Amino acid sequence: MSFVEIDDLSIDLGEFSLKGVSFSLERGDYLTVIGPTGAGKTIFLESIVGFWRPDRGRIALDGRDITAELPEHRHIGIVYQDYALLPHMTVYGNIAYGLKKHKPENMDEAIRKMAQSLHIDHLLHRKPTTLSGGEQQRAALARVLIVEPSLLLMDEPFSALDPQTRRRARLLLKEAIGERATTVIHITHDLDDAWALANKLAVFKDGRLLQIGAMDTVFSRPKNRFVAEFIGTGFFSGTVVSRENGCVKIDVEGTCFQSLDRADKGEPVDVAIRCEDVRVSRKKPSVANGFNILNATLKNIIPEGSSSLLDLGVDNLQMNALLTQNAMRRLDARRGENLYALIRKEHVKIVQAG
Amino acid sequence: MTFLLLFAIVSLFLVPDLKDVWHNLLSEEMGFSLKLSLVTGLVSTVLVMAFALPIGYALSRFDFPFKSFVKTILDLPVAFPELVLGLCLLLLFGNTLVGELFRRLSINLVFTKQGVVAAQFFTALPYASRILKSTFDYISPRLEFVSRSLGYSQMETFFNVSLPLAKNGILAATVISFARCIGTFGTVLILAGGTYMKTEVLPMTLYLNISYGNMGMALTSGIVLTTVSFIAIFIFERTEVDI
Repeated sequence: MSFVEIDDLSIDLGEFSLKGVSFSLERGDYLTVIGPTGAGKTIFLESIVGFWRPDRGRIALDGRDITAELPEHRHIGIVYQDYALLPHMTVYGNIAYGLKKHKPENMDEAIRKMAQSLHIDHLLHRKPTTLSGGEQQRAALARVLIVEPSLLLMDEPFSALDPQTRRRARLLLKEAIGERATTVIHITHDLDDAWALANKLAVFKDGRLLQIGAMDTVFSRPKNRFVAEFIGTGFFSGTVVSRENGCVKIDVEGTCFQSLDRADKGEPVDVAIRCEDVRVSRKKPSVANGFNILNATLKNIIPEGSSSLLDLGVDNLQMNALLTQNAMRRLDARRGENLYALIRKEHVKIVQAG
Repeated sequence: MTFLLLFAIVSLFLVPDLKDVWHNLLSEEMGFSLKLSLVTGLVSTVLVMAFALPIGYALSRFDFPFKSFVKTILDLPVAFPELVLGLCLLLLFGNTLVGELFRRLSINLVFTKQGVVAAQFFTALPYASRILKSTFDYISPRLEFVSRSLGYSQMETFFNVSLPLAKNGILAATVISFARCIGTFGTVLILAGGTYMKTEVLPMTLYLNISYGNMGMALTSGIVLTTVSFIAIFIFERTEVDI
Protein backbone atom coordinates (compact mmCIF):
# COMPACT_ATOMS: atom_id res chain seq x y z
CA MET A 1 0.00 0.00 0.00
CA SER A 2 1.40 3.40 -1.02
CA PHE A 3 1.49 6.44 1.30
CA VAL A 4 -0.59 8.60 -1.04
CA GLU A 5 -3.13 6.88 -3.28
CA ILE A 6 -5.28 8.85 -5.66
CA ASP A 7 -7.72 6.94 -7.75
CA ASP A 8 -9.85 8.32 -10.61
CA LEU A 9 -10.04 11.82 -9.06
CA SER A 10 -12.52 13.88 -11.10
CA ILE A 11 -14.00 17.29 -10.48
CA ASP A 12 -15.64 19.86 -12.72
CA LEU A 13 -15.58 23.50 -11.61
CA GLY A 14 -16.57 24.90 -14.99
CA GLU A 15 -13.44 26.79 -15.95
CA PHE A 16 -11.13 24.17 -14.44
CA SER A 17 -11.52 20.45 -14.09
CA LEU A 18 -9.76 17.21 -13.25
CA LYS A 19 -10.47 14.12 -15.29
CA GLY A 20 -9.76 10.71 -13.81
CA VAL A 21 -6.43 11.46 -12.15
CA SER A 22 -4.84 8.35 -10.64
CA PHE A 23 -1.38 7.82 -9.14
CA SER A 24 0.39 6.86 -5.97
CA LEU A 25 3.36 8.16 -3.99
CA GLU A 26 5.60 6.52 -1.41
CA ARG A 27 6.44 8.16 1.92
CA GLY A 28 9.19 10.74 1.39
CA ASP A 29 8.55 11.11 -2.35
CA TYR A 30 8.91 14.61 -3.78
CA LEU A 31 6.66 15.03 -6.80
CA THR A 32 6.84 18.13 -8.99
CA VAL A 33 3.81 18.85 -11.13
CA ILE A 34 4.15 20.79 -14.37
CA GLY A 35 1.71 21.74 -17.09
CA PRO A 36 0.43 24.74 -19.01
CA THR A 37 -1.71 27.43 -17.34
CA GLY A 38 -5.28 26.20 -16.88
CA ALA A 39 -4.24 22.55 -16.77
CA GLY A 40 -6.02 22.08 -13.41
CA LYS A 41 -2.87 21.90 -11.28
CA THR A 42 -4.11 24.18 -8.47
CA ILE A 43 -7.52 22.47 -8.37
CA PHE A 44 -5.63 19.20 -8.11
CA LEU A 45 -3.80 20.41 -4.96
CA GLU A 46 -6.93 22.02 -3.49
CA SER A 47 -8.87 18.78 -4.02
CA ILE A 48 -6.22 16.81 -2.13
CA VAL A 49 -6.24 19.26 0.78
CA GLY A 50 -10.05 19.11 0.81
CA PHE A 51 -11.21 22.52 -0.42
CA TRP A 52 -13.13 20.98 -3.31
CA ARG A 53 -15.17 17.85 -3.00
CA PRO A 54 -14.46 15.57 -5.98
CA ASP A 55 -17.35 14.45 -8.20
CA ARG A 56 -15.75 11.03 -8.42
CA GLY A 57 -12.70 9.19 -7.15
CA ARG A 58 -10.85 8.42 -3.95
CA ILE A 59 -7.98 9.99 -2.02
CA ALA A 60 -6.17 7.90 0.58
CA LEU A 61 -3.37 9.02 2.87
CA ASP A 62 -1.33 6.46 4.79
CA GLY A 63 -4.03 3.86 4.20
CA ARG A 64 -6.86 6.14 5.40
CA ASP A 65 -9.61 7.15 2.98
CA ILE A 66 -9.80 10.96 3.35
CA THR A 67 -12.02 11.70 0.34
CA ALA A 68 -14.95 12.85 2.49
CA GLU A 69 -12.92 14.27 5.40
CA LEU A 70 -12.97 17.99 6.19
CA PRO A 71 -9.73 19.87 5.41
CA GLU A 72 -9.07 20.52 9.11
CA HIS A 73 -8.91 16.77 9.81
CA ARG A 74 -6.62 15.77 6.93
CA HIS A 75 -3.33 17.10 8.35
CA ILE A 76 -2.18 18.23 4.91
CA GLY A 77 -0.26 21.50 4.65
CA ILE A 78 -0.40 23.91 1.73
CA VAL A 79 1.84 26.79 0.64
CA TYR A 80 0.47 29.10 -2.04
CA GLN A 81 2.20 31.15 -4.70
CA ASP A 82 1.19 34.35 -2.84
CA TYR A 83 2.02 32.62 0.50
CA ALA A 84 -1.41 33.50 2.00
CA LEU A 85 0.10 34.80 5.25
CA LEU A 86 -2.57 36.18 7.55
CA PRO A 87 -2.09 39.96 7.21
CA HIS A 88 -3.57 40.82 10.61
CA MET A 89 -1.02 38.72 12.46
CA THR A 90 2.74 39.09 12.89
CA VAL A 91 5.14 36.48 11.49
CA TYR A 92 5.22 34.97 15.00
CA GLY A 93 1.40 34.90 15.06
CA ASN A 94 1.30 33.23 11.66
CA ILE A 95 3.76 30.50 12.66
CA ALA A 96 1.99 30.03 16.00
CA TYR A 97 -1.46 29.88 14.36
CA GLY A 98 -1.34 26.24 13.26
CA LEU A 99 0.68 25.18 16.27
CA LYS A 100 -1.85 26.64 18.76
CA LYS A 101 -4.34 24.04 17.60
CA HIS A 102 -2.05 21.30 18.90
CA LYS A 103 -1.10 23.28 22.07
CA PRO A 104 2.43 21.94 22.55
CA GLU A 105 4.12 22.73 25.89
CA ASN A 106 7.18 24.44 24.43
CA MET A 107 5.42 26.36 21.67
CA ASP A 108 7.55 29.51 21.94
CA GLU A 109 10.77 27.53 21.80
CA ALA A 110 9.52 25.53 18.78
CA ILE A 111 8.58 28.71 16.91
CA ARG A 112 11.94 30.36 17.56
CA LYS A 113 13.81 27.20 16.56
CA MET A 114 11.84 26.91 13.31
CA ALA A 115 12.31 30.63 12.59
CA GLN A 116 16.03 30.27 13.18
CA SER A 117 16.32 27.29 10.83
CA LEU A 118 14.67 29.33 8.07
CA HIS A 119 16.60 32.53 8.93
CA ILE A 120 13.54 34.59 9.86
CA ASP A 121 14.09 34.80 13.62
CA HIS A 122 14.76 38.57 13.30
CA LEU A 123 11.38 39.06 11.54
CA LEU A 124 9.05 37.46 14.08
CA HIS A 125 7.56 40.79 15.25
CA ARG A 126 6.93 42.08 11.71
CA LYS A 127 3.62 42.06 9.80
CA PRO A 128 3.69 40.02 6.53
CA THR A 129 3.04 43.09 4.37
CA THR A 130 6.37 44.58 5.45
CA LEU A 131 8.37 41.54 4.29
CA SER A 132 10.09 40.84 0.96
CA GLY A 133 8.89 37.98 -1.24
CA GLY A 134 11.66 35.66 -0.02
CA GLU A 135 10.95 36.47 3.62
CA GLN A 136 7.22 35.87 3.15
CA GLN A 137 7.98 32.59 1.43
CA ARG A 138 10.11 31.43 4.38
CA ALA A 139 7.47 32.57 6.89
CA ALA A 140 4.80 30.58 5.00
CA LEU A 141 7.11 27.58 4.93
CA ALA A 142 7.79 27.89 8.67
CA ARG A 143 4.04 28.08 9.38
CA VAL A 144 3.35 24.85 7.53
CA LEU A 145 6.48 22.88 8.48
CA ILE A 146 6.09 23.51 12.22
CA VAL A 147 2.85 21.49 12.31
CA GLU A 148 4.67 18.60 10.58
CA PRO A 149 1.98 17.80 7.99
CA SER A 150 1.67 14.26 6.69
CA LEU A 151 1.71 15.66 3.17
CA LEU A 152 2.97 19.06 2.04
CA LEU A 153 1.44 20.71 -1.03
CA MET A 154 3.09 23.71 -2.67
CA ASP A 155 1.62 25.81 -5.46
CA GLU A 156 4.47 27.61 -7.24
CA PRO A 157 6.08 28.78 -3.99
CA PHE A 158 9.16 30.22 -5.73
CA SER A 159 7.53 31.93 -8.71
CA ALA A 160 7.60 35.42 -7.18
CA LEU A 161 11.25 35.21 -6.17
CA ASP A 162 14.27 36.53 -8.06
CA PRO A 163 16.65 33.82 -9.38
CA GLN A 164 19.21 34.18 -6.57
CA THR A 165 16.59 34.11 -3.78
CA ARG A 166 14.93 31.18 -5.54
CA ARG A 167 18.19 29.19 -5.45
CA ARG A 168 18.62 29.94 -1.73
CA ALA A 169 14.95 29.05 -1.08
CA ARG A 170 15.41 25.71 -2.84
CA LEU A 171 18.40 24.89 -0.64
CA LEU A 172 16.53 25.87 2.52
CA LEU A 173 13.49 23.85 1.50
CA LYS A 174 15.62 20.84 0.66
CA GLU A 175 17.24 21.01 4.10
CA ALA A 176 13.92 21.46 5.90
CA ILE A 177 12.16 18.69 3.95
CA GLY A 178 15.14 16.37 4.12
CA GLU A 179 15.23 16.49 7.92
CA ARG A 180 11.62 15.35 8.18
CA ALA A 181 11.37 13.12 5.08
CA THR A 182 8.11 14.91 4.29
CA THR A 183 6.13 13.75 1.27
CA VAL A 184 5.68 16.72 -1.07
CA ILE A 185 3.64 17.62 -4.14
CA HIS A 186 5.00 20.81 -5.68
CA ILE A 187 3.54 22.67 -8.66
CA THR A 188 6.10 24.61 -10.64
CA HIS A 189 6.73 26.19 -14.03
CA ASP A 190 10.47 25.97 -13.53
CA LEU A 191 12.06 22.64 -14.42
CA ASP A 192 15.09 23.67 -12.34
CA ASP A 193 12.84 23.28 -9.26
CA ALA A 194 12.08 19.75 -10.39
CA TRP A 195 15.73 18.85 -10.96
CA ALA A 196 16.85 20.43 -7.69
CA LEU A 197 14.19 18.97 -5.41
CA ALA A 198 12.10 16.17 -6.86
CA ASN A 199 12.47 12.48 -7.49
CA LYS A 200 9.22 12.29 -9.47
CA LEU A 201 7.58 14.40 -12.16
CA ALA A 202 3.96 14.65 -13.30
CA VAL A 203 2.70 16.45 -16.40
CA PHE A 204 -0.88 17.77 -16.56
CA LYS A 205 -2.87 19.07 -19.50
CA ASP A 206 -6.57 19.99 -19.69
CA GLY A 207 -7.27 18.38 -16.30
CA ARG A 208 -5.65 15.09 -17.26
CA LEU A 209 -2.51 13.55 -15.84
CA LEU A 210 -0.56 12.78 -19.01
CA GLN A 211 2.44 11.17 -17.41
CA ILE A 212 3.95 10.54 -13.99
CA GLY A 213 7.18 8.79 -13.14
CA ALA A 214 10.75 9.11 -11.97
CA MET A 215 12.35 12.34 -13.20
CA ASP A 216 14.79 10.57 -15.49
CA THR A 217 12.12 8.30 -16.96
CA VAL A 218 9.78 11.16 -17.85
CA PHE A 219 12.60 13.17 -19.44
CA SER A 220 14.03 10.16 -21.32
CA ARG A 221 10.78 8.54 -22.32
CA PRO A 222 7.99 11.13 -22.57
CA LYS A 223 4.70 9.45 -23.33
CA ASN A 224 3.65 11.74 -26.14
CA ARG A 225 4.66 14.74 -28.20
CA PHE A 226 3.01 17.23 -25.80
CA VAL A 227 4.94 15.96 -22.77
CA ALA A 228 8.17 15.85 -24.78
CA GLU A 229 7.79 19.39 -26.06
CA PHE A 230 6.77 20.68 -22.63
CA ILE A 231 9.91 19.32 -20.96
CA GLY A 232 12.16 20.14 -23.93
CA THR A 233 12.84 16.63 -25.14
CA GLY A 234 13.01 15.99 -28.91
CA PHE A 235 10.21 13.75 -30.15
CA PHE A 236 10.17 12.18 -33.62
CA SER A 237 7.89 9.70 -35.35
CA GLY A 238 9.47 7.18 -37.72
CA THR A 239 9.62 3.57 -38.87
CA VAL A 240 12.05 0.79 -37.96
CA VAL A 241 13.93 -0.09 -41.16
CA SER A 242 16.28 -2.75 -39.82
CA ARG A 243 17.24 -4.65 -36.70
CA GLU A 244 20.76 -6.10 -36.40
CA ASN A 245 22.93 -7.14 -33.44
CA GLY A 246 20.61 -5.60 -30.85
CA CYS A 247 20.56 -2.25 -32.68
CA VAL A 248 17.54 -0.92 -34.57
CA LYS A 249 17.66 1.67 -37.32
CA ILE A 250 14.76 4.11 -37.44
CA ASP A 251 13.99 6.30 -40.39
CA VAL A 252 12.54 9.67 -39.44
CA GLU A 253 11.69 11.72 -42.54
CA GLY A 254 14.89 10.56 -44.26
CA THR A 255 17.17 10.89 -41.21
CA CYS A 256 18.39 7.62 -39.76
CA PHE A 257 18.71 7.10 -35.99
CA GLN A 258 20.19 4.01 -34.34
CA SER A 259 18.85 2.89 -30.98
CA LEU A 260 19.62 0.05 -28.60
CA ASP A 261 15.93 -0.27 -27.66
CA ARG A 262 13.79 -3.08 -28.97
CA ALA A 263 11.38 -2.81 -31.91
CA ASP A 264 10.50 -4.90 -34.93
CA LYS A 265 11.37 -4.14 -38.53
CA GLY A 266 8.61 -2.20 -40.27
CA GLU A 267 7.10 -1.05 -36.97
CA PRO A 268 6.11 2.64 -36.69
CA VAL A 269 7.69 4.11 -33.53
CA ASP A 270 8.11 7.38 -31.63
CA VAL A 271 11.65 8.32 -30.65
CA ALA A 272 12.68 10.67 -27.81
CA ILE A 273 16.06 12.38 -27.54
CA ARG A 274 16.84 14.66 -24.58
CA CYS A 275 18.55 17.89 -25.48
CA GLU A 276 21.16 17.23 -22.76
CA ASP A 277 22.12 14.03 -24.63
CA VAL A 278 22.88 15.78 -27.92
CA ARG A 279 26.56 16.70 -28.21
CA VAL A 280 27.75 19.13 -30.84
CA SER A 281 31.11 19.07 -32.63
CA ARG A 282 32.81 21.03 -35.40
CA LYS A 283 34.78 17.97 -36.52
CA LYS A 284 33.28 14.70 -37.65
CA PRO A 285 34.60 11.88 -35.41
CA SER A 286 36.60 9.32 -37.38
CA VAL A 287 34.99 6.38 -35.58
CA ALA A 288 31.27 6.21 -34.79
CA ASN A 289 31.98 4.38 -31.50
CA GLY A 290 28.38 3.91 -30.43
CA PHE A 291 27.20 7.35 -31.60
CA ASN A 292 24.69 8.53 -34.16
CA ILE A 293 26.56 11.15 -36.17
CA LEU A 294 24.32 13.61 -38.00
CA ASN A 295 25.03 16.65 -40.16
CA ALA A 296 23.50 19.70 -38.49
CA THR A 297 23.14 23.39 -39.16
CA LEU A 298 23.19 25.80 -36.22
CA LYS A 299 20.02 27.84 -36.64
CA ASN A 300 19.88 29.71 -33.34
CA ILE A 301 21.53 30.02 -29.92
CA ILE A 302 19.27 30.72 -26.93
CA PRO A 303 21.27 31.58 -23.78
CA GLU A 304 19.66 30.14 -20.60
CA GLY A 305 21.81 31.36 -17.70
CA SER A 306 24.51 28.78 -17.06
CA SER A 307 23.77 26.93 -20.32
CA SER A 308 22.70 27.62 -23.89
CA LEU A 309 20.07 25.92 -26.00
CA LEU A 310 21.18 25.30 -29.56
CA ASP A 311 18.52 25.08 -32.25
CA LEU A 312 19.84 22.62 -34.85
CA GLY A 313 18.52 21.76 -38.28
CA VAL A 314 19.22 18.08 -38.99
CA ASP A 315 18.07 17.36 -42.57
CA ASN A 316 14.32 18.04 -42.36
CA LEU A 317 14.22 17.78 -38.57
CA GLN A 318 14.58 20.39 -35.87
CA MET A 319 16.51 19.28 -32.81
CA ASN A 320 17.78 21.00 -29.66
CA ALA A 321 21.05 20.57 -27.83
CA LEU A 322 21.76 21.93 -24.35
CA LEU A 323 25.37 22.94 -23.79
CA THR A 324 27.06 24.44 -20.75
CA GLN A 325 28.68 27.84 -21.22
CA ASN A 326 32.11 26.18 -21.03
CA ALA A 327 31.13 23.77 -23.82
CA MET A 328 29.79 26.73 -25.81
CA ARG A 329 33.12 28.55 -25.47
CA ARG A 330 35.01 25.44 -26.61
CA LEU A 331 32.66 24.98 -29.57
CA ASP A 332 32.83 28.66 -30.57
CA ALA A 333 30.13 28.23 -33.24
CA ARG A 334 28.18 30.91 -35.11
CA ARG A 335 24.65 30.92 -36.43
CA GLY A 336 24.40 29.25 -39.87
CA GLU A 337 27.54 27.14 -39.36
CA ASN A 338 27.57 23.45 -40.34
CA LEU A 339 28.28 21.17 -37.39
CA TYR A 340 27.84 17.56 -36.30
CA ALA A 341 25.25 16.37 -33.80
CA LEU A 342 26.43 13.31 -31.85
CA ILE A 343 23.90 11.18 -29.98
CA ARG A 344 24.77 7.94 -28.21
CA LYS A 345 22.65 5.03 -29.44
CA GLU A 346 21.43 4.29 -25.89
CA HIS A 347 20.15 7.87 -25.65
CA VAL A 348 17.80 7.38 -28.60
CA LYS A 349 14.76 6.07 -26.74
CA ILE A 350 11.88 4.32 -28.42
CA VAL A 351 8.98 5.53 -26.26
CA GLN A 352 5.97 4.21 -28.04
CA ALA A 353 5.76 1.50 -30.62
CA GLY A 354 2.79 1.30 -32.94
CA MET B 1 -23.77 71.03 -9.80
CA THR B 2 -21.46 70.29 -6.89
CA PHE B 3 -21.51 74.01 -5.92
CA LEU B 4 -25.28 74.11 -6.13
CA LEU B 5 -25.55 71.07 -3.88
CA LEU B 6 -22.97 72.50 -1.49
CA PHE B 7 -24.82 75.83 -1.45
CA ALA B 8 -28.12 74.05 -0.70
CA ILE B 9 -26.57 72.13 2.22
CA VAL B 10 -24.74 75.18 3.59
CA SER B 11 -27.90 77.27 3.43
CA LEU B 12 -29.54 74.73 5.78
CA PHE B 13 -26.96 75.74 8.37
CA LEU B 14 -27.00 79.47 7.58
CA VAL B 15 -30.71 80.22 7.32
CA PRO B 16 -31.87 79.43 10.89
CA ASP B 17 -30.96 81.53 13.91
CA LEU B 18 -28.52 79.59 16.15
CA LYS B 19 -30.51 80.57 19.26
CA ASP B 20 -33.65 79.11 17.65
CA VAL B 21 -31.82 75.89 16.76
CA TRP B 22 -30.57 75.54 20.36
CA HIS B 23 -34.07 76.28 21.70
CA ASN B 24 -35.63 73.71 19.33
CA LEU B 25 -33.04 71.11 20.23
CA LEU B 26 -34.07 71.42 23.87
CA SER B 27 -37.81 71.17 23.12
CA GLU B 28 -39.80 68.15 24.31
CA GLU B 29 -40.75 67.11 20.77
CA MET B 30 -37.15 67.23 19.56
CA GLY B 31 -36.00 65.37 22.67
CA PHE B 32 -38.54 62.63 21.99
CA SER B 33 -37.70 62.49 18.32
CA LEU B 34 -33.93 62.42 18.91
CA LYS B 35 -34.22 59.73 21.58
CA LEU B 36 -36.55 57.57 19.45
CA SER B 37 -34.33 57.98 16.39
CA LEU B 38 -31.20 57.02 18.32
CA VAL B 39 -32.80 54.05 20.08
CA THR B 40 -34.56 52.65 16.99
CA GLY B 41 -31.51 53.44 14.86
CA LEU B 42 -29.20 51.54 17.21
CA VAL B 43 -31.55 48.55 17.57
CA SER B 44 -32.12 48.41 13.78
CA THR B 45 -28.39 48.70 13.09
CA VAL B 46 -27.62 45.81 15.46
CA LEU B 47 -30.33 43.71 13.78
CA VAL B 48 -29.17 44.72 10.29
CA MET B 49 -25.57 43.74 11.06
CA ALA B 50 -26.65 40.46 12.66
CA PHE B 51 -28.39 39.52 9.39
CA ALA B 52 -26.09 41.26 6.90
CA LEU B 53 -22.91 39.54 8.14
CA PRO B 54 -24.03 35.97 7.35
CA ILE B 55 -25.84 37.16 4.20
CA GLY B 56 -22.78 39.03 2.90
CA TYR B 57 -20.48 36.11 3.76
CA ALA B 58 -22.77 33.52 2.17
CA LEU B 59 -23.20 35.58 -1.01
CA SER B 60 -19.45 36.05 -1.27
CA ARG B 61 -18.28 32.53 -0.42
CA PHE B 62 -20.95 29.96 -1.26
CA ASP B 63 -22.77 28.86 -4.37
CA PHE B 64 -26.32 27.81 -3.69
CA PRO B 65 -29.49 27.40 -5.76
CA PHE B 66 -31.24 30.66 -6.75
CA LYS B 67 -28.25 32.74 -5.56
CA SER B 68 -28.79 35.43 -8.21
CA PHE B 69 -32.49 35.55 -7.37
CA VAL B 70 -31.68 36.05 -3.68
CA LYS B 71 -29.20 38.81 -4.64
CA THR B 72 -31.82 40.55 -6.78
CA ILE B 73 -34.44 40.41 -4.03
CA LEU B 74 -31.93 41.75 -1.51
CA ASP B 75 -30.88 44.56 -3.83
CA LEU B 76 -34.42 45.49 -4.79
CA PRO B 77 -35.03 47.91 -1.90
CA VAL B 78 -32.00 49.97 -3.02
CA ALA B 79 -33.85 50.96 -6.20
CA PHE B 80 -37.35 50.63 -4.72
CA PRO B 81 -39.26 53.80 -3.74
CA GLU B 82 -39.34 53.87 0.07
CA LEU B 83 -43.08 54.46 0.09
CA VAL B 84 -43.68 51.30 -1.96
CA LEU B 85 -41.38 49.30 0.31
CA GLY B 86 -43.36 50.62 3.28
CA LEU B 87 -46.61 49.63 1.59
CA CYS B 88 -45.31 46.10 0.92
CA LEU B 89 -44.24 45.77 4.57
CA LEU B 90 -47.61 47.12 5.74
CA LEU B 91 -49.39 44.47 3.66
CA LEU B 92 -47.02 41.75 4.89
CA PHE B 93 -47.26 42.62 8.60
CA GLY B 94 -50.94 43.66 8.50
CA ASN B 95 -53.79 41.17 8.55
CA THR B 96 -51.78 38.29 7.15
CA LEU B 97 -50.42 35.06 8.54
CA VAL B 98 -47.00 36.66 8.98
CA GLY B 99 -48.49 39.64 10.85
CA GLU B 100 -50.51 37.29 13.03
CA LEU B 101 -47.42 35.22 13.79
CA PHE B 102 -45.54 38.35 14.93
CA ARG B 103 -48.52 39.53 17.03
CA ARG B 104 -48.57 36.14 18.79
CA LEU B 105 -44.95 36.80 19.70
CA SER B 106 -46.12 40.17 21.11
CA ILE B 107 -44.52 42.03 18.20
CA ASN B 108 -46.94 44.40 16.52
CA LEU B 109 -45.20 46.09 13.63
CA VAL B 110 -48.03 48.26 12.30
CA PHE B 111 -48.17 51.89 13.54
CA THR B 112 -45.85 51.17 16.47
CA LYS B 113 -42.26 51.91 17.52
CA GLN B 114 -41.44 48.27 16.67
CA GLY B 115 -42.71 49.11 13.19
CA VAL B 116 -40.15 51.95 13.03
CA VAL B 117 -37.39 49.39 13.69
CA ALA B 118 -38.82 47.00 11.05
CA ALA B 119 -39.02 49.79 8.45
CA GLN B 120 -35.46 50.94 9.18
CA PHE B 121 -34.22 47.33 9.15
CA PHE B 122 -35.60 46.53 5.69
CA THR B 123 -34.35 49.82 4.26
CA ALA B 124 -30.78 49.46 5.55
CA LEU B 125 -30.28 45.68 5.15
CA PRO B 126 -29.51 45.72 1.38
CA TYR B 127 -26.87 48.44 1.82
CA ALA B 128 -25.11 46.59 4.64
CA SER B 129 -25.32 43.23 2.79
CA ARG B 130 -23.77 44.77 -0.33
CA ILE B 131 -20.93 46.42 1.58
CA LEU B 132 -20.18 43.21 3.49
CA LYS B 133 -20.33 41.05 0.36
CA SER B 134 -17.77 43.36 -1.29
CA THR B 135 -15.66 43.23 1.87
CA PHE B 136 -15.56 39.43 1.90
CA ASP B 137 -14.97 39.39 -1.88
CA TYR B 138 -11.78 41.36 -1.20
CA ILE B 139 -10.50 38.79 1.30
CA SER B 140 -8.68 35.99 -0.52
CA PRO B 141 -10.41 32.64 0.12
CA ARG B 142 -6.91 31.19 0.21
CA LEU B 143 -6.40 32.73 3.66
CA GLU B 144 -9.40 30.74 4.85
CA PHE B 145 -8.22 27.61 3.00
CA VAL B 146 -4.85 27.82 4.75
CA SER B 147 -6.51 28.31 8.13
CA ARG B 148 -8.60 25.20 7.58
CA SER B 149 -5.60 23.18 6.44
CA LEU B 150 -3.94 24.18 9.74
CA GLY B 151 -6.73 22.47 11.68
CA TYR B 152 -9.40 25.17 12.17
CA SER B 153 -13.06 24.50 11.38
CA GLN B 154 -15.07 26.75 9.05
CA MET B 155 -16.62 28.55 12.03
CA GLU B 156 -13.26 29.01 13.81
CA THR B 157 -11.77 30.26 10.53
CA PHE B 158 -14.60 32.78 10.18
CA PHE B 159 -13.91 34.20 13.63
CA ASN B 160 -10.08 33.98 13.46
CA VAL B 161 -9.50 35.09 9.87
CA SER B 162 -12.52 36.43 7.95
CA LEU B 163 -14.01 38.59 10.69
CA PRO B 164 -10.81 40.38 11.81
CA LEU B 165 -9.88 41.04 8.17
CA ALA B 166 -13.36 42.39 7.47
CA LYS B 167 -13.30 44.85 10.39
CA ASN B 168 -13.06 47.97 8.19
CA GLY B 169 -15.95 46.78 6.04
CA ILE B 170 -17.99 45.89 9.12
CA LEU B 171 -17.40 49.37 10.57
CA ALA B 172 -18.34 50.99 7.24
CA ALA B 173 -21.48 48.85 6.94
CA THR B 174 -22.46 49.70 10.53
CA VAL B 175 -22.06 53.44 10.00
CA ILE B 176 -23.93 53.45 6.69
CA SER B 177 -26.69 51.28 8.16
CA PHE B 178 -27.08 53.63 11.12
CA ALA B 179 -27.23 56.66 8.80
CA ARG B 180 -29.81 54.92 6.59
CA CYS B 181 -31.88 53.91 9.65
CA ILE B 182 -31.84 57.43 11.12
CA GLY B 183 -32.73 59.01 7.78
CA THR B 184 -35.44 56.60 6.60
CA PHE B 185 -38.72 58.40 6.02
CA GLY B 186 -41.10 56.85 3.49
CA THR B 187 -40.96 53.28 4.78
CA VAL B 188 -41.39 54.46 8.39
CA LEU B 189 -44.28 56.75 7.44
CA ILE B 190 -46.29 53.97 5.77
CA LEU B 191 -45.51 51.08 8.18
CA ALA B 192 -45.20 52.88 11.54
CA GLY B 193 -47.20 55.99 10.74
CA GLY B 194 -46.17 59.60 11.37
CA THR B 195 -47.84 60.01 14.75
CA TYR B 196 -46.79 63.03 16.84
CA MET B 197 -44.74 61.99 19.88
CA LYS B 198 -45.43 58.30 19.22
CA THR B 199 -43.61 57.14 16.12
CA GLU B 200 -41.99 60.49 15.52
CA VAL B 201 -38.40 59.99 14.41
CA LEU B 202 -36.24 62.87 13.09
CA PRO B 203 -37.39 62.76 9.43
CA MET B 204 -40.97 62.64 10.72
CA THR B 205 -40.34 65.74 12.91
CA LEU B 206 -39.09 67.52 9.80
CA TYR B 207 -42.16 66.42 7.81
CA LEU B 208 -44.74 67.15 10.52
CA ASN B 209 -43.30 70.60 11.32
CA ILE B 210 -43.12 71.56 7.62
CA SER B 211 -46.81 70.59 7.43
CA TYR B 212 -47.62 72.81 10.44
CA GLY B 213 -45.52 75.64 9.02
CA ASN B 214 -43.03 75.45 11.92
CA MET B 215 -39.87 76.06 9.88
CA GLY B 216 -37.58 76.38 12.90
CA MET B 217 -38.20 72.81 14.12
CA ALA B 218 -38.09 71.49 10.54
CA LEU B 219 -34.73 73.16 9.93
CA THR B 220 -33.34 71.91 13.26
CA SER B 221 -34.34 68.31 12.33
CA GLY B 222 -32.69 68.82 8.95
CA ILE B 223 -29.47 70.05 10.59
CA VAL B 224 -29.35 67.05 12.96
CA LEU B 225 -29.99 64.59 10.10
CA THR B 226 -27.37 66.24 7.89
CA THR B 227 -24.81 66.19 10.70
CA VAL B 228 -25.40 62.44 11.26
CA SER B 229 -24.98 61.86 7.49
CA PHE B 230 -21.75 63.90 7.40
CA ILE B 231 -20.27 61.97 10.30
CA ALA B 232 -21.31 58.67 8.69
CA ILE B 233 -19.77 59.53 5.32
CA PHE B 234 -16.61 60.82 7.03
CA ILE B 235 -16.18 57.53 8.94
CA PHE B 236 -17.07 55.52 5.81
CA GLU B 237 -14.40 57.31 3.75
CA ARG B 238 -11.79 56.81 6.48
CA THR B 239 -12.51 53.10 6.80
CA GLU B 240 -12.83 52.21 3.13
CA VAL B 241 -12.18 48.52 2.66
CA ASP B 242 -8.46 48.02 2.45
CA ILE B 243 -7.53 44.37 2.71
